[in-house]
Order: sequence, then structure tokens, then C-alpha cells
Amino acid sequence: MRIALRGVGVVGGFGCGVDDLRRTLIAGRCSPQTASVAGTEGAGEMPVFLADTSRLAAFIPNRALRRVDHFSRLAALGACLALEDARLPPTVRQALGLVIATGYGATRTTFSFLDTVLDHGDACASPTFFSNSVSNAAAAHVSILLKITGPSLTVSQFEMSVPAALLTACQWLEEKRVEGVLVGGVDEYCAVLGYSWQRFFGPGPTTGTRPLEWGRQSAIAGEGAAFFLLCRDEGDPPDYGFITDIRQGHLRHGGLDLAADALLLLGADGHQACARRYARHLPADARVATYTPLYGSLPVGPAFDMAVAALSIKAGRIFAPPPGAGENPGLKIVPRHARLDATPIRCLKFGREGEYAMVTLSGRGSI
Amino acid sequence: MTTNEKLKIIIIQELNLEEITPEEIDDEAPLFGEGLGLDSLDAVELVVQIQKHFGVEIKDMEEGRLAFRSINTLGGFIEERRAA
Repeated sequence: MRIALRGVGVVGGFGCGVDDLRRTLIAGRCSPQTASVAGTEGAGEMPVFLADTSRLAAFIPNRALRRVDHFSRLAALGACLALEDARLPPTVRQALGLVIATGYGATRTTFSFLDTVLDHGDACASPTFFSNSVSNAAAAHVSILLKITGPSLTVSQFEMSVPAALLTACQWLEEKRVEGVLVGGVDEYCAVLGYSWQRFFGPGPTTGTRPLEWGRQSAIAGEGAAFFLLCRDEGDPPDYGFITDIRQGHLRHGGLDLAADALLLLGADGHQACARRYARHLPADARVATYTPLYGSLPVGPAFDMAVAALSIKAGRIFAPPPGAGENPGLKIVPRHARLDATPIRCLKFGREGEYAMVTLSGRGSI
Repeated sequence: MTTNEKLKIIIIQELNLEEITPEEIDDEAPLFGEGLGLDSLDAVELVVQIQKHFGVEIKDMEEGRLAFRSINTLGGFIEERRAA
């Protein structure tokens, strides 16, 4: 397997576009915003990494966006940025496929739709909210807005949604159904998520996310989109390297077969229940990094991990994990400005129940 | 606030026509196609919003077609139904 990664489009709490993400990686810090949260004991606040989609107006006229909700705007902006980054001529877009991964889907719109039913009865349920609440609405909006006429699909498998979407994208490419695939992960924050988050995890950490401290619950919710333009390995070598392996599995069927000195970009995001999997299954000599303190915890976090891996390959070095990621003397955390050489980067994500996924990105020198 | 004025605000807010103001909507201009440029999904949304805000149901397609010609015809339709 060798799928070329031609473009990256990201929007999140760190900003918009690969340049903003690169700057944030170099700075090593990103501050979450504050969201108001309704609770059983009155209103409160919690930290959230929120994404701003205002830059979408640079790609698509406002009038065309009037029925496009925040979730679909995140998807559309991620997709536009990935196409812009890849410098893909508009004529090629017709031959593209589109796969969107999401853990929660369009929650703001879905709960707004339910509110219209609860408040005014089913006769007054908003058709606009309904049409945006169906699972494939974002893919439909993106296809229409960007004039993509290839197949589209939305995949939801909670924290494994992104690797599942990548597997589909690679399958389409290998079958030669499409010339390229825009594949991305999207999740949004909403008031109901905030309420639920506080009920489950409390008011949120005061010291920021510390995902490498396995015993600590320190996750901060995030939202955003990370998209990639994938193509077959044809033409010029891609700056971002290649996807050379995608693995999904469950620990009950056996452990991960990892090289003792693997370079691992961990999807650990401050959830204590998932952290114990990393603690138990990482090889002792593995070099590890995590960047979730820069974009928060969201089911499609692996898409952001993959974006960081792609930027690392392009830069030829591993970005230092944010200092706030925490301290763990049992880990070999990659040092500042470590040269990447020919080592593949393995983006590893464990879910709460033992499910896992690993996406491997390799630069030209490592193949 | 007159029914027409309230209608304009509802149309702008519920159909997300952020780029226009109530004053810019001509009472006689067509709501669909030319004029405001609304489409069939807007029509379905408007039927719901009129029921929600005015308690007036539009059940018949033909009466809807006549009512939805302009702000004036829609406002008149709503007032007529509410008076009945």
C-alpha cells in the first residue's frame, strides 16, 4: 500500500490552515476558549477548543452557505483548504471521491431539530434542521459546493471513524473508481456535548490537557475538521509523503505488533480510561509524541494527529510535543527539533474498550 | 409591528438571509425565483414558521402558491385566516 498525500486542510482551535497549525506546533501551546454550559445547578463554564469558519467566505459566496450549518461549514472549509493546499485544478474535482468521518455528526443541528419538535410539536419541526441532521448532509453540501461528482460517503465509528474512512478512501483509489479522494474528519462542539461532558468529567482541568500523564483525567473538548487529498502514487513525489499502512483491530484479538523502537504519534487526549491502554501496550523503547493539547479531545482527533505527521514529513523533523503534554518518566518523549530521517510515523489511537487503529505515514526516504 | 413587518423578520432570520434588511424587502416583489430568490425548501420552512409564529396552517398546495406570491399576499392570507 502506498497512497500519496497531496494536500492537507485543517481548522480547529489553533486556527485555520496548515500554516496556522505549523505555527502552533512550533510555539507548542494553544489556549482553549471558554464556553458557557448549562448544568443542573445553574450555568457554568468549561474550556473548549472552538473553530472559526469565517474563512470559508474566501472560497464560497455567503448566499450559497445560508442553509449550511456549522458542522458542514467545518467540513467544507477543511475540504477547500486541502484542495487549495494541493493546488488542484478545479477541472480535476469531478473525478474526486469524498469520505467524511465523524464521531458525533451534526450535533448542534440535530439537537436544534429535536428542540423544534419538543417546543412546538412535530408539525413545526424545521425541515432545514432536519435536512442538515441526516448523516450524509455534510458530504452532500461539500459535493455540491465544490462541484465534486464522484462517490461520497460518511463514516461514523466514534474514535475509529478516521481510520475507517481512510480504508474506504484507499479502497476507492486502488479500485481506480476515482482519481483522488478528499477524506477528512469533522466533529463539532455543542451545548448538549458541553452539558454531558461536565456531567461525566466535571468542570475541566485548570492546568490544561496533560495526556501523557496516564493517571489523570485532563481532556479538554475540541472541534474542527482535518482533510486530506489522497491520490494514487503517480507523478511527482508528494511533499507530505505516503500512507503506507492502516490497521484497525481490537486488543481482545491480540496485541499490537509494534517495533520496539517505533516512532509513535499518540492519540492520547487526556481521557484516563483510554490512557491505560497506552500505558500497557507501548513498547518500552518507542519514541512517542502527542499534540492533542493543541486541538483538544474529539472523536476525529486521529485526523489531526495525521495532519501533524504529514507536516512533520514535509518539514523533515518531528515537532516537539507541547510542554503542557505532561511528564511521564516511563516514556521516551521525542526531543525538541528531532530530525525525522527515514523513520515512518505511526499514528496510534486506542479507544476506551480496547479497539485501536494505527495509520502509518512514510516520507520518500523511508520507502 | 404589522404582520408584514413581522413576516420580513421571520423570513430573514429563519431562512438565514443575513445579507438583507427588512427595509430592503419590497412588499410586492415575488418571494420565489426573481425577487427574494427563495426556493422549494424555503417554501417548506416558511409553511412551518408561519404555523409556529402565527398559528396559521397552509395545507393546500394551491392556496400556498397564491399566498406565497409576495409579502403582501402572504400577510393578507395570514390576517384573513386569523380573523376567520
